[in-house]
Amino acid sequence: MRPRIRTTAAVAVASSLALLTGCGAADMTKQASPFANAEGARTVTLSVQSWVGAQANVAVAQYLLEHELGYRVDTVQIDEVPAWDALSQGRVDALLEDWGHPDEEKRYVDDKKTIVNAGDLGVTGHIGWYVPTYFAKAHPDVTDWKNLNKYADQLRTPESGGKGQLMDGSPSYVTNDKALVKNLDLDYQVVFAGSEAAQITQIKQFAKEKKPFLTYWYEPQWLFEKVPMTEVKLPAYKEGCDADPEKVACAYPHTPLQKYLNADFAKSGGDAAALLKNFTWTTEDQNEVSLLIAQQKLSPEEAAKKWVDRHESDWKKWLP
Amino acid sequence: MSTTAPLTPRDETPETRKPPTGEPVFSVDGLWKVFGSKAHRVPADPELAALPAAELRARTGCTAAVRDVSFDVRKGEVFVVMGLSGSGKSTLVRCLTRLIEPTAGTIAIDGEDVRAMDRGRLRELRRHRAAMVFQHFGLLPHRTVLDNVAYGLEIQGLGKAARRERAAEVVAKVGLEGMEHRRPGQLSGGQRQRVGLARALAVDPEVLLFDEPFSALDPLIRRDMQEEVVRLHREEGRTMVFITHDLSEALKLGDRIALMRDGRVVQLGTPEEIVGSPADDYVREFVRDVPREQVMTVRTAMRPASADESGSGPALPPGATVSEAIEAVARTGSPARVVEDGRCLGVVDHERLLGVVAGTEQPKGVV
Amino acid sequence: MATVTATAPRPAAPGLLGRPAVRKLAALAVVAAILVPLAHARWSSGSWPAALTVDVSGPLTDTSTWIIDNRDSHPLFLYFFGHISNAVVLAVRGVYLVLLAAGWAGVTAAAALVAWRVAGWRLAAGTGAAFLACGFLGMWVPTTQTLALMVVAVLASVVVGALLGLAAGLSDRADKVLRPVLDTMQVLPAFAYLLPVVLVFGIGVPAAVLATVVYAAPPMARLTALGLRGADKEVLEAVESLGATARQRLLTARIPLARKELLLGLNQTIMMALSMAVIASVIGAGGLGDRVYQALASVDVGAALAAGIPIVLLAVVLDRVTGAAGEALGEEPHPHGRRLWLVALAGAVAVAVAGRLVGRLDWPDAWVLNIAEPVNRAVDWMTAHLYSGVPVVGGTADWAGRFTTWVLDPVRDGLQGLPWWAVLLIVAALAWLIGTWRTALTAVLAMAAIGVLGVWKPSLDTLSQVLAAVAVTLVIGFATGVAAARSDRVERLLRPVLDVFQTMPQFVYLIPVVALFGVGRAPAVAAAVVYALPAVVRITTQGLRQVDPAALESARSLGATPAQQLRQVQLPLARRALLLAVNQGVVLVLAVVIIGGLVGGGALGYDVVFGLAQGDLATGLVAGAAIVCLGLMLDRVTQPTERRARKGA
Repeated sequence: MRPRIRTTAAVAVASSLALLTGCGAADMTKQASPFANAEGARTVTLSVQSWVGAQANVAVAQYLLEHELGYRVDTVQIDEVPAWDALSQGRVDALLEDWGHPDEEKRYVDDKKTIVNAGDLGVTGHIGWYVPTYFAKAHPDVTDWKNLNKYADQLRTPESGGKGQLMDGSPSYVTNDKALVKNLDLDYQVVFAGSEAAQITQIKQFAKEKKPFLTYWYEPQWLFEKVPMTEVKLPAYKEGCDADPEKVACAYPHTPLQKYLNADFAKSGGDAAALLKNFTWTTEDQNEVSLLIAQQKLSPEEAAKKWVDRHESDWKKWLP
Repeated sequence: MSTTAPLTPRDETPETRKPPTGEPVFSVDGLWKVFGSKAHRVPADPELAALPAAELRARTGCTAAVRDVSFDVRKGEVFVVMGLSGSGKSTLVRCLTRLIEPTAGTIAIDGEDVRAMDRGRLRELRRHRAAMVFQHFGLLPHRTVLDNVAYGLEIQGLGKAARRERAAEVVAKVGLEGMEHRRPGQLSGGQRQRVGLARALAVDPEVLLFDEPFSALDPLIRRDMQEEVVRLHREEGRTMVFITHDLSEALKLGDRIALMRDGRVVQLGTPEEIVGSPADDYVREFVRDVPREQVMTVRTAMRPASADESGSGPALPPGATVSEAIEAVARTGSPARVVEDGRCLGVVDHERLLGVVAGTEQPKGVV
Repeated sequence: MATVTATAPRPAAPGLLGRPAVRKLAALAVVAAILVPLAHARWSSGSWPAALTVDVSGPLTDTSTWIIDNRDSHPLFLYFFGHISNAVVLAVRGVYLVLLAAGWAGVTAAAALVAWRVAGWRLAAGTGAAFLACGFLGMWVPTTQTLALMVVAVLASVVVGALLGLAAGLSDRADKVLRPVLDTMQVLPAFAYLLPVVLVFGIGVPAAVLATVVYAAPPMARLTALGLRGADKEVLEAVESLGATARQRLLTARIPLARKELLLGLNQTIMMALSMAVIASVIGAGGLGDRVYQALASVDVGAALAAGIPIVLLAVVLDRVTGAAGEALGEEPHPHGRRLWLVALAGAVAVAVAGRLVGRLDWPDAWVLNIAEPVNRAVDWMTAHLYSGVPVVGGTADWAGRFTTWVLDPVRDGLQGLPWWAVLLIVAALAWLIGTWRTALTAVLAMAAIGVLGVWKPSLDTLSQVLAAVAVTLVIGFATGVAAARSDRVERLLRPVLDVFQTMPQFVYLIPVVALFGVGRAPAVAAAVVYALPAVVRITTQGLRQVDPAALESARSLGATPAQQLRQVQLPLARRALLLAVNQGVVLVLAVVIIGGLVGGGALGYDVVFGLAQGDLATGLVAGAAIVCLGLMLDRVTQPTERRARKGA
């Protein structure tokens, strides 16, 4: 019996290996999503990042692709850095809002050439530290980082221990805050809300009770419409001052947000690729859609429809 | 192979049975089974082999379940191995077909060395020559009665129709007609054991091995099943090795009984010998409460007949029990003659019979 | 320091030392008395000494970069992982296309008819309703995506699990190797599995499917092995006595005898695959989990619920149908079983074809019910009215603040303030008291590994959250369990709630918790408590109910009050169940405390999320390894010896 089992096993292993390797090399970086292009439909897979602005981009792009060009659109929630990898592998076709990842850009765009830059989104992003405007009005000097230590007491929470709380959001966001607190010698503790959702909930709660808070935040962001916030001035940004992440002691730059496409998709993606390359809009446009989604709780599709109905002249230009 | 099994019924009735004197089917000599690491050292070393169980465990960490056991099972007999739990009897019966691998000694079936058999030969032995009935039945719960009975044949590679036909015959033989399509879970304990019995019978083995088959059953059902076995034996004359811890069962079924204690056979003999002349105090204590008049025969109880006695009085065969003799003597009021082939072997009178019942009579050595 | 428990228990000294617990502690004290001053002199006390840490982030980052750079060129990827990835993509795509081709009507009909054959009419109706509900919620396409992924992952898990189970069930040596591995995998949080597969396969469906298989195959393997090993010895002996070959024995006896366990394994595998398929949305699994994840990103509890409900419905349906299949085993098979299966098959095909002819393959948009808005309004109301400043009781945010200040902070500071060797000693003592010196050694080594990896502080932070959550869970869980065990009505009310809660995706818990308690460690703990409670309540109830009725009756006959019965009879006799409840509670709490990193739980969970989000696999993998060690340690410290012994028998 035993020899026979062994033979069977050997045959099984050999044949499965043959099956695996029989078709030669398999490049997993060139595998599309299994859900793409099902049933003859032309499909575009867009990556969505966790913040609402990115959702707004994707919602409008998706709406136009589906209703104007007749594509089927899949969206996948991926954070920025992994999205680069997924983009390179072709598992998603486009990343519509990137806040600047020089390492990845070098690796994928310059070296591997699996990703191409698809131009500006049209929105300029800026990260900074913010206090609610009602607090800034009451204490105008809080908007200079040098005075922050004075307010550490007022900004204390259970999570921050004995120090003031600097609230950060999702771990996926670009942040130098821990280094900043250390290098600027501030009596603050960085507390991560864990996700933007959690951070927004928290900010709204603070605002409702008119409590002071200090938070990492960014523009463009729809929340400014609901909770007016004032930026705290950090030491001015100079080119290269953030080169060493451990020694950063300056503000965040203003970044023109970029779009990136998978190289193959850019080449052979036809109308969809053309539309995504042409896609540029303003901060106001993005905020309009974001507010509809996040504040009025419209579904992204409905929000996109509203914007598309109102701004026909804007998007007509994007169509190939 | 079935031609080797004696299928013709013997002419004996249970009342007159006597040990068959045919060829040995199983021949066991110096058998040891020791559990534990380095078990093989124990039988080889006379000093270790002589140690009592507790000391052996302390010294070597081994447990000797079967110690230096020898016996022959003769063709056509019911050979009972009896002992209390832990005496090694179940291990012994499993050693016969090497369900448990013996440590030392020899086992032969029809003269063929069982311990020397290769896998294929051993499988052949289990498939055709010796089938076993288990205490807790060992039935496959997901199969019907019929398929359970046919299981042994299926393993042998018999076609579906043929094995079902054969299984149906055996099912009828053990009195389970109409239940062929039930599952074991839907049967009573007695019925389940009939299935177990049928499964063993279906392969038409030379020897049936029973491992305490009825001890999980209610007393009334147990008696039914014992009678079933007696009937089967009478009809088919199949050799049986029967393991039990129940003395009355042993006495009722056994042509010969091996009484085990702590892995050793302390006495081997007919029921009459065991009851009539216990080998030691342990056996004596064991058989103390046995109704001796139902076990002892007049052959043992008789005395030589005087000249006038040999012509008159009721005649009894030598295999008749003492209780039968008491009835005859009480009815006629005179001593009974023990007659075989028309010849008077001796007589039993009140005195001899009372002696047996009271246990004061020391029987003369028989055989 | 790893040698703390290496000394074997000594022969008992008379008197007090006669008790094993005291003896173990005494032995430990002796070892500590020798080693602690040494350790103190060499590395000083306080937090884990820097001299004893190994920085692995450099090599890990290099590995990660190397893999990303070589993924499209190295033969290992081209000829091995690439094919695996390819096979997964093809399989998932195949199933997905079949589901799409069948259309919503066809899939619903097929599911309902299968449920009908396996579990009867009522479950069939429930199954149909559940699938239709997925459509009504506007989740048809994500549902089919999740189903496609699940089908492939479950099949692969079953095959892998059954093969491993066969090996462990038939070979003692394989069992010895596999059992501790499988036991350990069972207690690890799902999050720990994500990073290694992402490292190799990148974000996407292949990684998600493989992580799911790794997560879901162990129960199948364990139960297969258990079934094979647990088979009635006498039946196997009987089969052998009839001269069966090894293969005959396996096919006609061992496997059929293990059918119950195999089906239970299938059931558990399906449930675990579903929960992992949802979590794997973090690494690009798509489907329903992705919708939950997207909705959470925009604080959209309503949308999260719209995607969460189909997951719960799928879970309940799959659980009930496979469970019913297991129960149907003992019964007489239906006389026309095969014909009815054909009827079912024909019915499903007919509906699918009809749907195709009518042209209704996609779920009609007009039939979609929008639940997001009302749900969100309710959540807003809750936030507005319960958050803070409620008279007398205070608001939920105030509770969270107080819980953080009075419970979480002291526990965390206490743990972090302990000298590192003291933590090891406590772990050793607990594990040794409840288990053997082996368990203690494993626990201590696991804890020490955390220190060596250089994540001592965040791990103790996570540990403090786990301890707090477990304490709350046990108090509430035991109280509820006792109530449910004493009153049938309470149990009847609780049962459906528990069923649903046990299958809910962990993600969905996070947002209402944030709405109620804000961000931070308190909501992470709250989510963990809610997640772990059902299991603790259920095990407690069962344990108490299974107490020997005769013992209870005799207590009652002696005139014991209900309280006395509970204290003197039920609780002591249910001790094993209660210990199991603690063990399960700890394992489940850890899983969610880790995910709590998404809502400000910080510590290890945050590191994993950070690692995934930033593609910084070094941080993530180290945190993942620490989670593994923490899980191992917590399991060993709460796992009574009896359970292990019983499993080994």
